[in-house]
Amino acid sequence: MWWQIVRRLLIFLVSALVASIVVFVLLTVVGDPARTALGTNATPQALAEMRLRMGLDRPITTQYLSWIGGMAHGDFGTSFVTQLPIGPQIGERLLVTLWLVAGGMVVALVVALPLGTLAALWHRRVAGWILSGLSQLGIAVPAFLAGILLIAAFAVELGWLPSGSYVVPATDPIGFLKHMVLPWASLGLVQGAVLARYVRSAVLDEMGQDYLRTARAKGMTLWRAVIRHGLRNASIPVLTVLGVQMITVLIGAVVVERVFVIPGIGSFLVDSVARQDRLAVQGIVVTIVVISLAVSFLVDTAYALIDPRLRRR
Amino acid sequence: MTAFMTPPTMPPMPEPALLTNPSAQRRNPLLLVGGVIVALIVATALVSFFWTPFPTILTDTDHLASPPGAGGHLLGTDLYGRDIASWLMVGAQTTLYVGIVAVGIAAVIGTPLGILAGMVRPAWSEFLMRITDIWLAFPALLMALIFATVFGASITSAMTAIGIASVPSFVRVVRSGTIVVMNADYVLAARVAGRRSPAIALKHVLPNIAGLVIVQCSVSYAIAILAEAALSYLGLAGGPTTPSWGLMLFQGQAVIAGDPLLVIWPGVAIGLAVLGFNLFGDGLRDRYDPRLSGR
Amino acid sequence: MIRKRARLLVSAAAVALVVSACTAGAGLQPSSSTGDQSTQSATGGSTTPSGGSGSTGTETSGTSGSSSSSGSQPAPSDGTLTLGLVLEPVSLDFTTQSGAAIPQVLLDNVYETLVNQAQDGTIVPGLAEKWTVSPDGLTYDFTLRSGVTFSDGEPFTADDAVFSINYVKTKWTVNVADAMKVVASATAVSPTELKVVLSHPDNLWLFKMTTRIGAMMSPKHVDKLATEAIGTGPYVFSNWIHGDSITLTRNPHYWGSTALEKTIVFKYFSDPTAMNNALLTDQIQVITTVQTPPALKQFDDKSKYTIIDGTTNGKVMMTMNDARPPLNDVRVRQAINYALDKPAILKAAWAGYGTVIGSHEVPTDPWYVDLANRYPHDVAKAKQLLAEAGQTHLTLTLALPPVPYAAAAAPIIVSQLADAGITVKTTNVTFDNWLAKIFAKPYDYDLTIINHVEQYDVTTVFDGTPDYYTQYTNPKVAELEKQGLEGDHATFIADFQQVMRILADDAAAAWLWAFPNLMVADANVRGLPQNAIGESLNVFGLYTS
Repeated sequence: MWWQIVRRLLIFLVSALVASIVVFVLLTVVGDPARTALGTNATPQALAEMRLRMGLDRPITTQYLSWIGGMAHGDFGTSFVTQLPIGPQIGERLLVTLWLVAGGMVVALVVALPLGTLAALWHRRVAGWILSGLSQLGIAVPAFLAGILLIAAFAVELGWLPSGSYVVPATDPIGFLKHMVLPWASLGLVQGAVLARYVRSAVLDEMGQDYLRTARAKGMTLWRAVIRHGLRNASIPVLTVLGVQMITVLIGAVVVERVFVIPGIGSFLVDSVARQDRLAVQGIVVTIVVISLAVSFLVDTAYALIDPRLRRR
Repeated sequence: MTAFMTPPTMPPMPEPALLTNPSAQRRNPLLLVGGVIVALIVATALVSFFWTPFPTILTDTDHLASPPGAGGHLLGTDLYGRDIASWLMVGAQTTLYVGIVAVGIAAVIGTPLGILAGMVRPAWSEFLMRITDIWLAFPALLMALIFATVFGASITSAMTAIGIASVPSFVRVVRSGTIVVMNADYVLAARVAGRRSPAIALKHVLPNIAGLVIVQCSVSYAIAILAEAALSYLGLAGGPTTPSWGLMLFQGQAVIAGDPLLVIWPGVAIGLAVLGFNLFGDGLRDRYDPRLSGR
Repeated sequence: MIRKRARLLVSAAAVALVVSACTAGAGLQPSSSTGDQSTQSATGGSTTPSGGSGSTGTETSGTSGSSSSSGSQPAPSDGTLTLGLVLEPVSLDFTTQSGAAIPQVLLDNVYETLVNQAQDGTIVPGLAEKWTVSPDGLTYDFTLRSGVTFSDGEPFTADDAVFSINYVKTKWTVNVADAMKVVASATAVSPTELKVVLSHPDNLWLFKMTTRIGAMMSPKHVDKLATEAIGTGPYVFSNWIHGDSITLTRNPHYWGSTALEKTIVFKYFSDPTAMNNALLTDQIQVITTVQTPPALKQFDDKSKYTIIDGTTNGKVMMTMNDARPPLNDVRVRQAINYALDKPAILKAAWAGYGTVIGSHEVPTDPWYVDLANRYPHDVAKAKQLLAEAGQTHLTLTLALPPVPYAAAAAPIIVSQLADAGITVKTTNVTFDNWLAKIFAKPYDYDLTIINHVEQYDVTTVFDGTPDYYTQYTNPKVAELEKQGLEGDHATFIADFQQVMRILADDAAAAWLWAFPNLMVADANVRGLPQNAIGESLNVFGLYTS
């Protein structure tokens, strides 16, 4: 049991390390970062100076170790394009994105649980087909299109909600909520549609199980049986998906942040790509990837703790 | 962006049970609807090679953003006076092209890796799966942004990035399918009879997991279409004269208040294509897996 | 010599790029600008009240004439005005960071200059009440305003001016600072008297002092320029939310009349639609750079919105590589010009805002000759010229930097050239690649679209020698430009008019339109500058009625 957790933790750490090497190789070794940082100021002399400043003259392993070593205590380096330290900005913007992701996930759950469960319960009825169809339609809509349409309707036409930008929750909680409603909805509705399919299939799985048949034989209605027993068991796979989806929502936030002008880590990444700020891109990508890996580690561990079948191993 | 939110793997989705025999030839509306949509898109793309109402290059500056019907433009024109119907038709080509390249890359790399992972000893298999897990932490958009930083933004770098990011989902699906096949009696018999692994992979595994791979292709295809649209929106895909639905959406959204049709047409096209490929994939899955459709 | 010092700013109205080509095109850097806030440099002294004749500036009230506010100004209010901008600065320090984004916010608003440029281009007093120039053009005597303080409370004196000028010469790393090299010495004669001696006469220097290099800084704060901004201006820097906005608040101790609006927020939008929506939903009051003019339809309601359609010095053009075959054949270049229907391009790409031009000039240039119709749209003529040149199956590549006007003009250009039998393939290029391969040697391109925003930059862009990316070579042009710059006013105008005609006749490029200063504001916002003149977005005169 403890061994399971330690083993998973080790896997997580090694994975994170490998991922950081991959990112480093892609962004530092491929191409010429000094040239990218200089643009056309890149006279041979300036290039040489910049290489020296960026430490590109050192052996590749030394470069990697100093980068990873700095990150271990939160120092992501100073951008050669903006001259600003990267670490604090990542922290600042990650917080914004986490609010966005958390709210989006809540909306997704609120949409997916009833939709998926009903679609499963009614799976042989027209209503079930319609619900499945709805979730299929939801999946087919790009989140940014959903965002654009929501803005056009609720902000521009009706004037009920702001069309974008971010308010710090500590200074103005009401304003924060008002500004986040549409971003949460555009992330969450589409995401909920994806999740609903998993809920449906998980509930369908449970409906075929013996204990449900027994419960029904004992006179329980299907609904009560599913709600009493089925949903609890179905929640295990759904939780797993939720973990995986949190990662994908984090990535999906990149586009939604752009639509709603939210200064999160996604817009930082897109801006840094546009600025050809490789060190910043490197730091942001590693942060996102490590968060992804950490989430899967946590989900795996939780899964191992909860699921009796796994516990027995 | 749904593309990036769709979990690259589908953990609780049905285990690939026996894939060899499609269950009874039951009427399958999903497959039918999805198939019809996909066929329609392919047909449109094929026709557009030979005929479009107007050349896509033509800018009719007397009819800018005009409503359907004006100046002989069936669905109207875009901001630059280009015929929307023609652009939608040729956009289907781009969609298919991006999808084929991206999914092709994913399938060609992912399928052999998956078979390998399913056939080698457990320790090696475990190792391969750990690599796949790390790979999964680089979803399509993230990969595309890295590629845009290093190689510059273009439709080629976008397609390649989407393709590479889609590899791990193929590995996972193919591996579990391979394990099922490897435990089937006839394969055990073949192994006892001393057939070598490559032969088994080609003779028994590949034909039996083909269905799974096709299903996965269809799912990945939908993801690729959405990814291309998102990258166009971020300005990281093709140029302003390459007909693409994502580009149309991007150009149209600036004037959504005045000319909503410029967003609606490509939006519907993208939605239909994703829906089509998803339904097609689901339909195939149901057909191969009796557990879902059978109930 | 003047020509050598002239910089070029190629700016992109949106995602933004500024190319500063210092000393004959060497040392460029990609950076940022919003196009309409163009940096300028004069190559002729015709519009500046300076020069060898020994002129004197006179005092006017207020700071600069850069706001078009008129009539009854209300009492200062405690309100907040939020402006939408495109490109966020990367730091507050324009002594080490190039690009237009920082001076756009800080110059004139937070940092002030000794002299300012008015809406009509003339030089007017700023922190200097008046000045005299010696007849030999070498010595400038400034009389500074008294009672001016920095926002930290310290008085502004001639010593600070000397410090600021010397600081540009010694510490600034951006290449615009080169314009200060001409200063031999700066001395404080008294707290309000500043004497500047140049090493040689320079008609451009006073003009340059209206730009960022003329910013007066406090010696006490220059070590924290990246994060603080202490100046004498009507506003003080308040805070900066990275990725979102910069806030300025009114300077209560300002020497001039109090700023009318207490708080000004510069809010940044990477997406044009998001900026439009923000105005539609009252989150901002002004769009300072319209990037998608076709979207202006949604602001048609005149009771709610004002559309400001002023001028910039920007010349949007399709540059041709004049040295590369077959474009080195004048007939091919002329054919391309005949094939283009420029009014139609302007109408479709920029909703008709701006003015069609036919040479490297804008209508506000002193030598302006209307050459817009030099090549009327004539497909038959184009085909004939191509046939004469033996280029009936011509295929060219059009490289597009990531700017909205290039993306907007390209589809129409491609279509019109196709009518004349020219196949054009478009490729997207990043700024990096545009700067590295097109703008710099090896000048690897056929066609590209760019907005050259700098005032009077013909002497850089078309200097008659092949040292620039246009690769236009014509000794006659070089001679006329040299003669014009050195001659008297009449010669100057006549020679430059001649240059404009020669460039048009040679079809040195396909000029498309003079870039407009296009803004949208809530109808109750007053005091927005009509024309984009200097480097700053001067908010001093802004108020809401």
